[in-house]
Parts: sequence; C-alpha cells; structure tokens
Amino acid sequence: MSELLKGNFKTKQTVEAPEAKPESLEDRFEKAAMKRLGGSIAYVAKRKVLWDK
Amino acid sequence: MSIGLALVERMGELTRERHGPMALANAERNRPLIGKSLACLRNVSIGEDEAIVIASGPSVAKRNPGPRLKDYRGALIAADSAFVYCLRHGRVPDLVVTVDPHPTRIVRWFGDPAMETTDDYFRRQDLEPRHEQEIQANAETLDLMARHAKGVRIALSTSSSEAVVKRVHELGMDVHWWNPMHDDPDEPDSITARLFEANRLPCVNAGGNVGSAAWMMAHAVLGKKRVALVGFDFAYYPDTPYTRTQYYREAVDLVGSDNLDQVFMRIHNPYLGQWFYTDPAYMWYRTALLDMARDADCKTINCTEGGIVFGDAIDFQPLDSFLT
Repeated sequence: MSELLKGNFKTKQTVEAPEAKPESLEDRFEKAAMKRLGGSIAYVAKRKVLWDK
Repeated sequence: MSIGLALVERMGELTRERHGPMALANAERNRPLIGKSLACLRNVSIGEDEAIVIASGPSVAKRNPGPRLKDYRGALIAADSAFVYCLRHGRVPDLVVTVDPHPTRIVRWFGDPAMETTDDYFRRQDLEPRHEQEIQANAETLDLMARHAKGVRIALSTSSSEAVVKRVHELGMDVHWWNPMHDDPDEPDSITARLFEANRLPCVNAGGNVGSAAWMMAHAVLGKKRVALVGFDFAYYPDTPYTRTQYYREAVDLVGSDNLDQVFMRIHNPYLGQWFYTDPAYMWYRTALLDMARDADCKTINCTEGGIVFGDAIDFQPLDSFLT
C-alpha cells in the first residue's frame, strides 16, 4: 500500500499521523446514556399552531 | 455550569436524535389511517370558557385533585398518562392528548391488551402508587377503558406508535389527528413543513411533552381564555430517592452513583415555602412552558399545588381557589 501512495516530493518536517485514541468504557457509557436522555417530542420556540401555509 | 444545566441546554438536540426519526417513521406509517383533523375542534365550544389540563406528576398522588374535578363545568383536558386517573374519579375528560412516539410504553396509558412483560419504567417513576403493581394496574385500566373510552375525543399525534393508534381505534375513541412541530416550519428544508404538505394536518408546538401539548390545545385549539394546570410538577418532592426518577439509570451511567447531585437541580417554590428537585428533562419542559405561556392568548394558572412551574406568565394558586 505504501508503495502505491508514495509521494512525489519530500516534506520539510516529519509528518506523523495521529493515533486514534481508543474510546474508553466511560465514554461509551456516556454516549449510550445521552442517547437515552431527552423529552417526548421536539420543542419549537415561540410557535403555537400552524393551521395553514 | 453544572452538568444538569448543561444537559438542559442539550435537551432539544437529544430529543430530536432520540425520538425524531421514530416520530417521522410513525407519521409515515400512520398516513393511510388519517381521518378527522384536529382542525375540526378549532374553537368548538366544550364546557364553559375555561379549561383544566391534567398531567400526572407526583402531586396527583399527594394532593388527589380527582374528587374536585368530578363536577367541573369547564373543559377537562387530560394528558394520556392522566386519562385513567380521571376515569377512576368518575370524570370522563373532554379531550385526551397523546404525542410520545415510544413503541411500547405509551399504549399502557390506554390499557395494553398485549402486555406480556413488565417494564420497570412505570414502577421507577414517582407516579401514583398503583403503577407499582403493573399487571394489576393494566387490568384495571383495560376495564375502565372498555367501559368509558368509547366516543371520548382524542388528539392523536401522527408521531404515535402503531400500538397506540391501534388501541385508540379499537376503543372507539373519537380520533382527531395532528402533527407535532419537529422544527420551525418557516425554515428552509423544514421537516414540519414537509409533513404538513404530505398530510395537511395542523402542526402544534408540543413544548417537549404531552402535558404542554395538552395546555397548547386548551388555548390555541379550543380557544380557552383561562387555563388551569393540575399535575404539572416537572419536579420531584425532596424526599423522593433518585432511584425513583425517570432518568436515574442514565444519570448513573453519565456521572456515577456518587455524583448524582451534579445532574439534579434544586428549586425553591416560594408559594409553598418548599424545596423540590428536578432533572434536565423536566427543567427543559419547565423553561419551554414558561416561554410559551408568555406568548399565549390565555391566562395560565398552575393549580398543581406542588412542583416548580411558576414564573411571570404563570400564576400559582390552590385548585380550590380556581374552582370557586
């Protein structure tokens, strides 16, 4: 693969790809909890009823 | 800012993520079933020129407003969760409102003939004690609905689940369909506007929950000029353990059981001289209702006798004062 993606110039500085940070168990719990939070339906500020357009 | 208040600010977005796709899928599935529109109830004269809207906060068990509602001559509008409470106290509501798209829970408020498993959602919350005996409560609801629900008007949201839609039709309720607003219909690419174009039903700002939707129906649909609220606590009594709150498990997953004070918020009710505490969802409902009340063409009087719903646009007084 690295052969295929070989560049045609050299960078001045060494470029290092950031390593993906593994998601912790706590992060996963937090995401799951956030998905279960919320009300019954949306709230739209300062609108009453749309009868017709 | 506390974690609780930070979550309040995200409630709209979280609700949209959690229930938006489900509500829209339900609306699509319900489209062929749509009959009468909520517009048929617009300014229809029901009862005297005022209304009581009843929800099912913890004050209902503590203050027991039921016997005082029996002979009320205004319109009684019930959130789905308070429908059976009204029937148990000998008062058939003039209008029932339902909006939550949850696939299995909401049908329980109408009695679930297919109930096979229990769901501790009902036991965990600080509702009427009867909900602790889920199977028995469901049997009682089935019986009351069989005797009294036929012909009762219901504002049935297009977001409602298949189970709720089937149940209210089986009961022979007088169905009036409506769309909850999912976003601002004036915005480009509005989902609400597209829904309206598809089914031509009125779109109602539901304020995040069924109680607020019922309050909106009282003045913006039925045209009531004085609207009292009962069972609108949006809070818990201070002696309620966290385990009996609606999002206890989610709160533990978020902050751990030792840090729950960061999620809940305490509010002093000066009318009662009493403290209550609330969670981010209830706090969001409260903020939205106070905001909507400022813009409403009615006087709103909170007769819950508990909780945290008070502010410049909502008076707070005992139910007996409103009734006399």
